Amino acid sequence: MQAFDLHVHSAFSGGESSLEELAKTAKLLGFRGICFVFYYQDERQKEILLAEIERIRKEVGIDLYLGFEARDLKELKFLAKHRRSFDLLLARGGEIEMNREACETPEVDILTHPEYQRNDSGLDHVCMKFAAKNNVAIEVNFREILITNKKTRAMVMANIARNIKLAKKYHASIILCSGAISHWELRSPECLVSMACQLGLELNEAKKAISEVPKRIIEKAKERRSEKWIMPGVKVLE
Amino acid sequence: MDNARSEGFGVIWMKRERPKILLPSLREKERYVKFKVISEEPIQYSDLESAIWNSFLDFYGELGVSELSLWIIKNLWDEKEQVGVIKCNNKSVEKVLAGLGLISRLGDSRIIFKILKVSGTIKGLK
Repeated sequence: MQAFDLHVHSAFSGGESSLEELAKTAKLLGFRGICFVFYYQDERQKEILLAEIERIRKEVGIDLYLGFEARDLKELKFLAKHRRSFDLLLARGGEIEMNREACETPEVDILTHPEYQRNDSGLDHVCMKFAAKNNVAIEVNFREILITNKKTRAMVMANIARNIKLAKKYHASIILCSGAISHWELRSPECLVSMACQLGLELNEAKKAISEVPKRIIEKAKERRSEKWIMPGVKVLE
Repeated sequence: MDNARSEGFGVIWMKRERPKILLPSLREKERYVKFKVISEEPIQYSDLESAIWNSFLDFYGELGVSELSLWIIKNLWDEKEQVGVIKCNNKSVEKVLAGLGLISRLGDSRIIFKILKVSGTIKGLK
């Protein structure tokens, strides 16, 4: 199983650990690749990050990707417009409008923690249908479970389980991510898969959610960044 | 040797300390999970054991843990390599792995469990 973790924050984006620490720990835990998620500032920041990621990729020997997380609707629209200049586009879930908009935007790859700071799961059957149609993967964020305990953890897990149930019914993709902001919050792929099994996924579905789904997202991103790609469904053939 | 027969043949009566070993088909199937602890500071076995039990009892509760047949094997703890083995039954491997993932601190030290191997025998872990 080639595992990927496509939602990792570093010191550049409100996290605690450096890119090197995160990449080395991920490699040690057995990940094939990880995606560093940042908040967009300007083009200069993007260039610096790309150069830094390229340096660490050569140094550590693990696949690294650059992703931007949209925090509000305005940012989401802006990043969707400039989608081709970076690897992954994530939308920070939690607010109901943001969850809905992310599911309706085909440029979005992952909707992160849709149940974030909510008493409900944040997604309904309409959102799930859009997510399935637009290939937006619904994230199961391990950090949400890791940092909470007792009653809060029970509620978070119930909400995640509800999203998983809906996603399975409407055939939307589910992706497993650590959501780590420090290299000490990264977890072994086996632990992530097992937690997803406790939340309602079958073992083979959980394994797909950490290997095949991220792989498909990465391939789609690579295709989109190639010069032959024009728009979804249209590309130049030789 | 049961009590009545022992008396009948004049053999010294011996008390059985353990029940007879069950037939293989009646026994619970075991799984051994080999893990490595990645931590800021080296971990002592006693601290690790209490952290695992406390975390599992918090997350699964007493009834849940009773269904895991959980046992941490002291003899197989390698303090130098920080590698250990947990025994559980074959139906609860996923629960054990998920539970290990939820342990993030041991005292002041932050830790990560790396799962090395899951096997049906201790020999198979090597």
